[in-house]
Amino acid sequence: MAAAGPSVFLLMVNGQVESAQFPEYDDLYCKYCFVYGQDWAPTAQMVKETALPPAAQRGEGHGSPELGHWPSLSSSQGLEEGISQITSKSQDARRALVWNFPIDVTFKSTNPYGWPQIVLSVYGPDVFGNDVVRGYGAVHVPFSPGRHKKTIPMFVPESVSKLQKFTSWFMGRRPEYTDPKVVAQGEGREVTRVRSQGFVTLLFNVVTKDMRKLGYDTGPPDTQGVSGPSTPQGLPR
Amino acid sequence: MAEVHVIGQIMGATGFSESSLFCKWGIHTGAAWKLLSGVREGQTQVDTPQIGDMAYWSHPIDLHFATKGLQGWPRLHLQVWSQDSFGRCQLAGYGFCHVPSSPGTHQLDCPTWRPLGSWREQLARAFVGGGPQLLRGDAIYSGADRYRLHTAAGGTVHLELGLLLRHFDRYGVEC
Repeated sequence: MAAAGPSVFLLMVNGQVESAQFPEYDDLYCKYCFVYGQDWAPTAQMVKETALPPAAQRGEGHGSPELGHWPSLSSSQGLEEGISQITSKSQDARRALVWNFPIDVTFKSTNPYGWPQIVLSVYGPDVFGNDVVRGYGAVHVPFSPGRHKKTIPMFVPESVSKLQKFTSWFMGRRPEYTDPKVVAQGEGREVTRVRSQGFVTLLFNVVTKDMRKLGYDTGPPDTQGVSGPSTPQGLPR
Repeated sequence: MAEVHVIGQIMGATGFSESSLFCKWGIHTGAAWKLLSGVREGQTQVDTPQIGDMAYWSHPIDLHFATKGLQGWPRLHLQVWSQDSFGRCQLAGYGFCHVPSSPGTHQLDCPTWRPLGSWREQLARAFVGGGPQLLRGDAIYSGADRYRLHTAAGGTVHLELGLLLRHFDRYGVEC
């Protein structure tokens, strides 16, 4: 009897959240998470809250993270979500915001529908010291194997009435999404008004397994000749 | 049956004179195509850009088609509208582009146009807003009755679409 072919393919993504460009804001940190369809599952066990930096870091200004809480993660564990460090703009002419925050996750699936997207949320302090959201953004993980560099726009929801804008500025309670995963969906967005105000650059290395055996053609491997991580170059368009 | 996955984003738009823009999109296919998963149409958020003049939507598109034939390859049609501070919507442009037919990731720039009316209607549009719109959306992606229209150019919609094909080589299709 001939051996049955594979029914599952794997997608391995590693890379980093490299840097950001937000001309008006400083002292930012970002959170990422992956959103995927029902046919997808991450293969490595997701590490729970104890492994992430303490949540008390949010809203505490520039306190350095307590190093004792950092986990010793082996490289075979994939993380489905993460919170980066707080970064400030460099003092030189570039005014760069660099995170260099690693991403490493592997998914398995039977169907490309629901291809994983990475959802990023960027937060920073406002003039009163409250932690407010500075941008949400999402992009699909690239599906051709190889090296990819993506710069994604970041937007915040905004309210229409001027009184509400003033009140939210004053009270430090800006409009935000209750679940950032909304950013990865298309439905329900037609009633939201947003303001786009920054960009985040991501680098991905993608490896797939068994997609070709299952009959999928992902096109030519991307050979854009992307060199190593670079500093922000200015606006993409 | 061969399968096609269209996975990508409507990234945004440039070149429109108005700034708070949103886009209504839809996919039209021939009779041989069947949509297995995904939503066939939608509407993006309204974006007001703070940096530069590109309105960013980052609206995800994830569609799974099964097909028995090559005719009626999917076409993506778009309507770009602007919304002012009073909540009124005004048409900024119509456009369409075919979904790419080769596998891989593609950057697409879709030009748009809007119908011009008589000189009175153009004057009214400049002062009060509004302006003529198409009664039936299929003139956006079909060429049948286009000769009746007199249009002006709008801006450009930027898309990044990735295409994943399955079993096309079994049927001898080269793409």
